[in-house]
Amino acid sequence: MTLAIEIEDYSWQYLNTPKPALNHINLQVEEGTFLGVIGPNGSGKTSLAYSIDGLIPGQYNGIKHGQVKVFGKEVEAYDRGQLQRIVGVVFSDPEAQFTAMTVEDELVFGMENLGMSIPEIRERLEWVTELTGVGHLLLKPPYEISGGQKQRVALAAVLAMTPQVLILDEPTSMLDPVSRRRVFDVLARLKSEQRNTIIVIEHSLENLVPLASRMLMLSDGELTLEGETREFFQNMDLLVAQGIHPPGAMRFYYELKKSGQYPGSLPITLPEASQELKGLVARTRQP
Amino acid sequence: MTDNQSFIQVKNLFFTYPDGTKALEEINLSVTVGEFIALIGQNGSGKTTLSKCLNGLYKPTSGNVIVDGLNSRTTPIVQMVRRVGYVFQNPDHQLFNNNCWDEIAYGPRNIQLSEEEVKIRVEEATQVVGLPQIYFEEHPFFLSKGLRQRVAIASILALRPQVIIVDEPTTGQDARQSFEIMDFLKDLNEQHGHTIMIITHDMPIVAQYARRVIAMGQGKILADGPTGEVFAHPEVLERTFLEPPQITQLAQGAMELGFQPGTLTVEEMLRQFEALH
Repeated sequence: MTLAIEIEDYSWQYLNTPKPALNHINLQVEEGTFLGVIGPNGSGKTSLAYSIDGLIPGQYNGIKHGQVKVFGKEVEAYDRGQLQRIVGVVFSDPEAQFTAMTVEDELVFGMENLGMSIPEIRERLEWVTELTGVGHLLLKPPYEISGGQKQRVALAAVLAMTPQVLILDEPTSMLDPVSRRRVFDVLARLKSEQRNTIIVIEHSLENLVPLASRMLMLSDGELTLEGETREFFQNMDLLVAQGIHPPGAMRFYYELKKSGQYPGSLPITLPEASQELKGLVARTRQP
Repeated sequence: MTDNQSFIQVKNLFFTYPDGTKALEEINLSVTVGEFIALIGQNGSGKTTLSKCLNGLYKPTSGNVIVDGLNSRTTPIVQMVRRVGYVFQNPDHQLFNNNCWDEIAYGPRNIQLSEEEVKIRVEEATQVVGLPQIYFEEHPFFLSKGLRQRVAIASILALRPQVIIVDEPTTGQDARQSFEIMDFLKDLNEQHGHTIMIITHDMPIVAQYARRVIAMGQGKILADGPTGEVFAHPEVLERTFLEPPQITQLAQGAMELGFQPGTLTVEEMLRQFEALH
């Protein structure tokens, strides 16, 4: 077992802020894990992502305690640029990462920076445009395309560099349900075909839950719950108290459980919930 | 719905962008005062273009948009925006003044109201959106996204439009913030009599708040009706590349057990479950 990320008693406080953005975090993420990160806005999710790719403490002023290691090495110990080859981040605001005048240049930029050969760049460009469905946008300026298209281009640009650790900060916030599912399909393919460690920060749980092998909740800078996905959602009281809104099917069973009408563990996907409903109705109808 | 009751009448509307992109084709619809409508559809289906036709920002390529008896082709935009307000998806695309007060006062000043009237409008709008006085002198960019959205809505409210269109009100908001914003829009609808139209991809939000759904695809209206009815026909929704909320899908997969295909909320699902006993 290789640990992709080890975080030990880690705290981070931005300069001139009254309290830490992250407070005494302990976390280990094994290589190949698909980790879902949830929590209210302002709970420290994005700060956690920045701490793993070295933007914190590199680009921000503040006070750091404890350690953040990526593949056994502290983030500050990596040479400039080296960590970013291992950890790729897709930001929630895709415009924040665009620099080029065409989508194609945007996708090629990162690969050129990594010193890849032209044939390799060409091959990867073909792969990511097919995977993310942005082929028809290649010649357009990134600022002229829609919000949803921007998010897919941002994802493609980071995927082209095939980082071992991929962090996506609300990657589908601007997408319609079908485009959203397409992004999660891409992530599902990465999960099954490669050994990438994938960390997804998301408010919308319906697509995340079936893919995530583990889940983590941050509240007010603290790691309040972490575990294997199914076990994680059995702590529904705690999640609801933190303002997390579970997908409809899961909430239905949670309400039934609270009123003593459902004894089992909460189903976490729609197919599971449908299957369970048949048995449940049959039992309630028995005399 | 008869013609003389409707506040907005869209008749055979076509809109083509200058570069030749056909964004809207053969749109017919009418909106009555007091409705709460969700406009849904895939990215690029024409939702935002339609909204901008409704507030007169875009003039029809052919067909007509009649608002409160005024034809958008011949009515100055200042008259249109007093009737239909449009709140941008990203409040940062709309906020440009140095403090919140001036931001909200910009619209009323722009339609040349007296400073006295401007003050009344701004105070009223800030009160409705619940923007505390301590923020009046603050630069909008130092506010949280939720508060910036409130400033954006207040700046539209200050024009006192009958219809308020809000583009993606819950994008990037967590669950608690989303419900807060939606409850606020519900309050504008029920307590203040505003007609609300939201543009959103969030189907559970649509199911919980909207009474009517207009589903668009490739520039056309593919479905238009009461929320439960539109969601009860997944085959129509499929053409718009949307799917009903998860709880509706759970009910639709269990129709043979007695669940209704138009189930919209967890609460409705629970009531049906109780009734099975």
